[in-house]
Amino acid sequence: MLLPKFDYHEPATLEDALRLLSEMGGNARIVAGGTDLLVRMKLKVEKPSHLISLRKIPRINVIIQRENHGVSIGAAVTAGELSTNELIMERFTPIGLAAARLGAPGIRNRATIGGNLVNARPAADLSPACMVLNASLKLKRSKNEREVPVNDFFRGPGETLIEPNEMLVSIFVETPPPWSGGAYIKLGSRKTLEISMVNVAVLLTLQSQNGPIVDAKIALGAVAPTPVRAFAAEEFLIGRQPSAKLFSEAGAIGVGMCEPITDHRGTMEYRCLMIETLTSRALNQAYQDAMTWKPLPV
Amino acid sequence: MSDYQVLNTRAPRVDGPAKATGQAKYTDDFKIPGMLYASILQSPVAHARILHIDASKARKLTGVKAVVTAREAGLIKYGVSPARYDETLFAHDKVRYVGDEIAAVAASDQDIAQEALSLIKVDYEELPAVFDMFEAMKEGAPQIHDEFPGNMNAEVHQEFGDTEAALRSCDLVVDHTFINKRQDAAFIEPHSCLAVFDHSGRLTLYTSTQVPHYVMRTVAMTLQIPVGNVRVIKPYVGGGFGPKCEATPLEMSCGLLSKVTGQPVKMTYSREQVFLHSRARHQFYAEMSLGVMKDGTMVALKNKAVLDGGAYTSFGIATVYYSGSLLGGPYKLKTMKYDGYRVYTNKPACGAQRGHGGVAHRACFEQLIDMTAEKLGIDPIDMRLKNIMTTGDITVNELDMSSLGMKECIEAIRSGSDWNNKKGKLPKGKGIGMACGFFVSGAGYPIYRSDTYHSTVVIKLSEDGGVANVMTGSAEIGQGSDTTMAMIAAETLGIKLKDVQVHSGDTDYSVDLGAYSSRQTLMTGHATKEAAEQVKSQIASHLSEELNVPVSSITFADGIVKFDGGPGNFEKLRSSYIKEHRGWMDPPTGEYLTFREAARMAYLKAGTIVGTGKYKPPRLGGSYKGAAVGTSPAYGCSAQIVEVTVDLETGQITIDRMTDAHDCGLAINRTSVEGQMQGSLSMGLGECLFEEVKFDSRGRVLNPSLGEYKIPTALDMPKVKSIIVESSEPNGPYGAKEVGEGAIMPTIPAILNAIYDATGVRVNELPATSERLFMALKDKSEAV
Ligand SMILES: Cc1cc2nc3c(=O)[nH]c(=O)nc-3n(C[C@H](O)[C@H](O)[C@H](O)COP(=O)(O)OP(=O)(O)OC[C@H]3O[C@@H](n4cnc5c(N)ncnc54)[C@H](O)[C@@H]3O)c2cc1C
Repeated sequence: MLLPKFDYHEPATLEDALRLLSEMGGNARIVAGGTDLLVRMKLKVEKPSHLISLRKIPRINVIIQRENHGVSIGAAVTAGELSTNELIMERFTPIGLAAARLGAPGIRNRATIGGNLVNARPAADLSPACMVLNASLKLKRSKNEREVPVNDFFRGPGETLIEPNEMLVSIFVETPPPWSGGAYIKLGSRKTLEISMVNVAVLLTLQSQNGPIVDAKIALGAVAPTPVRAFAAEEFLIGRQPSAKLFSEAGAIGVGMCEPITDHRGTMEYRCLMIETLTSRALNQAYQDAMTWKPLPV
Repeated sequence: MSDYQVLNTRAPRVDGPAKATGQAKYTDDFKIPGMLYASILQSPVAHARILHIDASKARKLTGVKAVVTAREAGLIKYGVSPARYDETLFAHDKVRYVGDEIAAVAASDQDIAQEALSLIKVDYEELPAVFDMFEAMKEGAPQIHDEFPGNMNAEVHQEFGDTEAALRSCDLVVDHTFINKRQDAAFIEPHSCLAVFDHSGRLTLYTSTQVPHYVMRTVAMTLQIPVGNVRVIKPYVGGGFGPKCEATPLEMSCGLLSKVTGQPVKMTYSREQVFLHSRARHQFYAEMSLGVMKDGTMVALKNKAVLDGGAYTSFGIATVYYSGSLLGGPYKLKTMKYDGYRVYTNKPACGAQRGHGGVAHRACFEQLIDMTAEKLGIDPIDMRLKNIMTTGDITVNELDMSSLGMKECIEAIRSGSDWNNKKGKLPKGKGIGMACGFFVSGAGYPIYRSDTYHSTVVIKLSEDGGVANVMTGSAEIGQGSDTTMAMIAAETLGIKLKDVQVHSGDTDYSVDLGAYSSRQTLMTGHATKEAAEQVKSQIASHLSEELNVPVSSITFADGIVKFDGGPGNFEKLRSSYIKEHRGWMDPPTGEYLTFREAARMAYLKAGTIVGTGKYKPPRLGGSYKGAAVGTSPAYGCSAQIVEVTVDLETGQITIDRMTDAHDCGLAINRTSVEGQMQGSLSMGLGECLFEEVKFDSRGRVLNPSLGEYKIPTALDMPKVKSIIVESSEPNGPYGAKEVGEGAIMPTIPAILNAIYDATGVRVNELPATSERLFMALKDKSEAV
């Protein structure tokens, strides 16, 4: 399979990139790792006449800690980087775990968080992880910029709020409060290189090591046209004392949020049953993680 | 350990450095001046009459050098077995599956070739299509080939003894049904071919194939070129596993386009086209009954098979025979009955794949044995040992086990896996299972009826005497056959492995039927050994004359010649050798005459020293219809134990450990044997747990990529303990026999038996996905 013909641009600054993007409008696509875009171009699903690479743009591929209150992740940070970054693993656990399950090492070395979010596949790994962390996305165009909560970003398979002349430059995530813990579980058929049949991200915050749940966020992937939050299950958990029984009840409630489809990866019935099981498992894991919360060494 | 110098070691592969450094050239790496790029137009619909083909626009496109359709190619029928030639290079009256070939173009670059395809206009009258083998057998189903009413491509009915009566006399009869899914062999290198039709009317094909010989014959026939004018060269090949065992439309199209244009023509299939061409493992439905006595003695086996063949025959006749004939062992049965049906459907044709015809039925049978053992309260291993065949036994369908280390394999895995401490003692969710199997070491007969040798080999020494060139038409496709032949030649000649050069995969070098039915180690190995012996005896007789010593006093080993076990008196040979090669960097030294000096002396007396070897099996098998399929000069066998963990809440299966024993006769190269064993396990694991080629309702492949067709990753493979069992095979060169395919036979049933042990659920449909297992677990718990 051959790539269709296109012009390739490697702007050296963000400003140049944004200018190119606005000049070329719908004819241009940003290429980050290319692990989605180039595949679709080979399949002739997309035929942009210009590709604008992020490769030379300074600092778009770095993770910056914002004092203690959060982290800013450049859009071109790779899944490989996220999965090995200690800060991300420790404090923004669902992102780290999800990144570690994306594709295989070769793919993770190229695949970026920006590409994963903008691509907006219902089964994407990083989307639910960003959703439970309430990430906010910085979208820039030539003249202005805006911040959009990731929880509002997805509109449908492959559809988001981003405009053709906008670029996602970074993802900001607030540091979860003390006694928070996270988990991410992905169900596929083999152990790696899998597209999820169902995936679940969870962030749980306790009042204290043994205290009741003060906040809970659950996001599910591959169960609806976009990744979804299981709000009813979250509300059910808040204020209660964690227990295996509680988590399994929350799992049952979680299923209510989903409208999975039957496709060649799995049936609707199995997916629903797995949402329940995996949500409760992820809650248990997040709870274990939360109980072992430690202040970061300075 | 053995007395061999070279054989039975872990010698590194002779092609290792070229592959590791990227110097190895595969077909698609070749570029020659004036080369054109070709592409094939394939049907977008599953079943239709072709009303009209208009290629005029494509022909006018700048850069297009030729467009060929059935009109140019003619309507010569071809296939694998002359008994069922049912394909033409291009479809003319009908297309029979999504992917059926209609036309091919050659152009100055690939973009233009692709564009030209889109300019060919084909008018179709769509016909109702049938995709399911059971639907296809029903009355009123769409008919795919006029010559084969009821879509019945091939039927086999065999019975050995009176099975029904034997079943009635049994204490217990247990039934089982099983269905696998259509496979893709998922070799890394897609089919690729470069054709050069030269001014002398000779066609040379560089092609990624397992069988240069059969490709040569088929291409000569379909393109109407004298067979002596077709040469097939197989460069390095990135895997085959069976589907590359026959000539492809890609090869024929390249040949035809080169003939028409007078320019070299290259084409490589996309991964999607590999799935569309297919020729991989069929979908098999198996229905079996096993009759036993209370003490576990097996008496009668009834076996029925239905195979979804796809739109053409390919290897299918052999396949449907194998599903019956390869169940005759390795257990002593008194009677066996087999009814097999291969059915046409509007899907890509299926063919041969590792473990040809035997894998799914073996999976059914080995589960059935476990089910029976459970009912009788006998340990599955004891049940098998009670019925096991040993060396010298002949199966109920007359296959001769001239060597069979089956019992040794079973004992080896029993202790190697600590079975006795695990079976029946594992917690819920953990399980252990075993299974056995056997396979041919080369088909007893060629695919076309013929008295041909199955293999000939030429060994030619270099002028200085230092290098033995082994020339063979056999096909190194990654399995290591070049290394095997080099080792056999080195051992036989008594020289170092590094002094052998193998030139293989070229129909101009020798006759060889190729890499299929696990035949090359035994058959090409025999021919290599004979050629080397001939070379050696020529040198010995010249030495005997020159030095006036008896031939019987001369021995060759490790590059050195001894006379009566000592150095002898060879001074005049050495000084003349050194005189002739004055100034060269490597004069022969040491207290013994070297092979090089001896071979040089022989050259000076007789000219280039050449030895030839040949092999064909003796007449094998019974005289009933179809008795030829399943015969072989020797059979390899294996036993495996698999340990699994099942996540009872999701149905996910983790294979924890595999213990595998294989009897390959003498292991020519121990590392290669283990490589084949482990590769077989991985392939069997994939078929068992993940792999399935899926279609939509219109016959289009849903997952034609290695992203969506899921073969095992490194993380899915467990720790494997490979135990080599070496019987001595009287019909093998140095006692060697197969390991390439037999090793896959027990894998699927061993996994399924382990899953049963872990969960109490019998999976009778592949793949054993988490969903399938979970739903079965759920049904079981709801039924209680
Ligand atoms: C073999 C394989 C396995 C895979 N496995 C997984 C998996 O397990 N889980 C998973 O979620 N995904 C998987 N993917 C999909 C893919 O790798 C991921 O979605 C990846 O994160 C995409 O990132 P990228 O940098 O490669 O994106 P690209 O392909 O470069 O871009 C994807 C899309 O996003 C746009 N885009 C990229 N960056 C920006 C930006 N900064 N601003 C605006 N638009 C942007 C592009 O224009 C394009 O439309 C797999 C892909 C392959 C080929």
